[in-house]
Amino acid sequence: MLLTILRRQEKAVALWLKDFILTMQEFFLFSVRTFKAFPKAGRYWRDVLDQASICGTDSIPIVLVSAISIGSLLAIEVGNLLEDFGAKTMLGRSTSLSVIRELGPLLMGLMLSARFGSRNGAELGAMQISEQIDALRAFGTDPVAKLVMPRLVAALIMFLPLTALSDFAGLHSAAYMAEHYHRLDPGIFWNAVYPRLAPKDFVVGFLKAPVFAIIITLVSSFNGFSARGGTAGVGRSTIKGIVVSSGLVLVANFYVSKIVLENM
Amino acid sequence: MIELRNVSLKYGDKEILKNISLTVRDNTIKAILGPSGVGKSTILKLMLGLIKPNSGQVIIDGTDITPMKEASLYSIRRKMGMVFQGNALFDSLTISQNLGFFLRENMKLPEEEIERRVSEQIQFAGLEGYEDQLPESLSGGMRRRVAIGRALIFKPHMILFDEPTAGLDPVSSKKILSLISDLRNNNNLGAVIVTHIIDDVFNVADCVAVLYQGEIIFDDVTEKLNQSQHPFIRSILSDKILEL
Repeated sequence: MLLTILRRQEKAVALWLKDFILTMQEFFLFSVRTFKAFPKAGRYWRDVLDQASICGTDSIPIVLVSAISIGSLLAIEVGNLLEDFGAKTMLGRSTSLSVIRELGPLLMGLMLSARFGSRNGAELGAMQISEQIDALRAFGTDPVAKLVMPRLVAALIMFLPLTALSDFAGLHSAAYMAEHYHRLDPGIFWNAVYPRLAPKDFVVGFLKAPVFAIIITLVSSFNGFSARGGTAGVGRSTIKGIVVSSGLVLVANFYVSKIVLENM
Repeated sequence: MIELRNVSLKYGDKEILKNISLTVRDNTIKAILGPSGVGKSTILKLMLGLIKPNSGQVIIDGTDITPMKEASLYSIRRKMGMVFQGNALFDSLTISQNLGFFLRENMKLPEEEIERRVSEQIQFAGLEGYEDQLPESLSGGMRRRVAIGRALIFKPHMILFDEPTAGLDPVSSKKILSLISDLRNNNNLGAVIVTHIIDDVFNVADCVAVLYQGEIIFDDVTEKLNQSQHPFIRSILSDKILEL
């Protein structure tokens, strides 16, 4: 009896592992096909512009809201902590490092994973279920070049200015809170920000933008392309895309910081 | 001409097609008849190279497409048009944009020629006045006619229909079937029709292959279907529609 259960479990694990390896292989090939389609970006420039508008300009409000909230909150909490040590003048330094290196790009990545990633997953999933992707292939159009490559090019272009915007909004909201909540002179706040920021602080922050763009676009699009089983299947693949890409964004955030800070 | 030679296909452990062979000649309408879920649509996808068989060959006009890579298949696919069961129209594009989409994508034609071909298909499908509508605002029969127009706009040699009358009312079904007959009679176009409706087979098909449990159990001219003594064919001939 016990042996039968164990054998069944062993078979289930083996099947899961085989499935996982196959999915990884398919994802790798899908990613290679997307990058190989880059020379066609000129041909699909209209699609690139459409996607740039969706993931760029349309995402500005959500990026601003998250950056302003986290910048303000950070200034209040860190300011309170520094006050205990009599080091409130260091508020600009600590918030700027947190925002530019970590929180600005990370929050932007998570917001775009939810916004842009869910849109990709749902749209491509619905196209897959309704055989529109098969129709593209059947009539001689490469669906990866037409649907995925423009999304990736647009994300690679737009995530950089969005990171800059997130940093800018986060820092200025922190400065506003420093002045009005902690009664810290703006000159003291900004003096602790700009002269002390090193190139590596910007490299850490801005290098995350293309990494997140690649993760979010490829994971969400791959899950859309893999949707099966009607409208419920579209829902499942969209959720999977958001969960996996958000998780990978968090992991990548850690490793990019670690690698750059250790080597610069 | 389309030829399937000893084709087998498995999805996981499930054997969908078992060593089937099938030939579709130019300028003929061949029906593939079988119950739902038996793998009829899979045969159409094999013919287009959208999926690859586990074994056997798919030969299009003398070329074996089974070992071919995706990029080299595009030119082969353009020889055929496909009408999907759910039409697979692009729901964010208007009817005329849907019709002209693949011409703009894949053929370097002047815009005037594309517009001429689009209006030709609009007229053929009887959709004058609906050019700027989105697919969702059309009836099922109209959407099917747009899908047929989109498949025809490339001027293919062969057109593949996946359940062309499924989900349509009797009047729309009749219109679609007469459209398919006209294509063969007036345009010398071959066709493969996948269906589970026997009346469709007798109405338009020159020959028919019956797919049952992953095997072809009948493959001959339509008139001979009535003479078959196979128990499954006898039972479907009395029921007319296959519902399993």
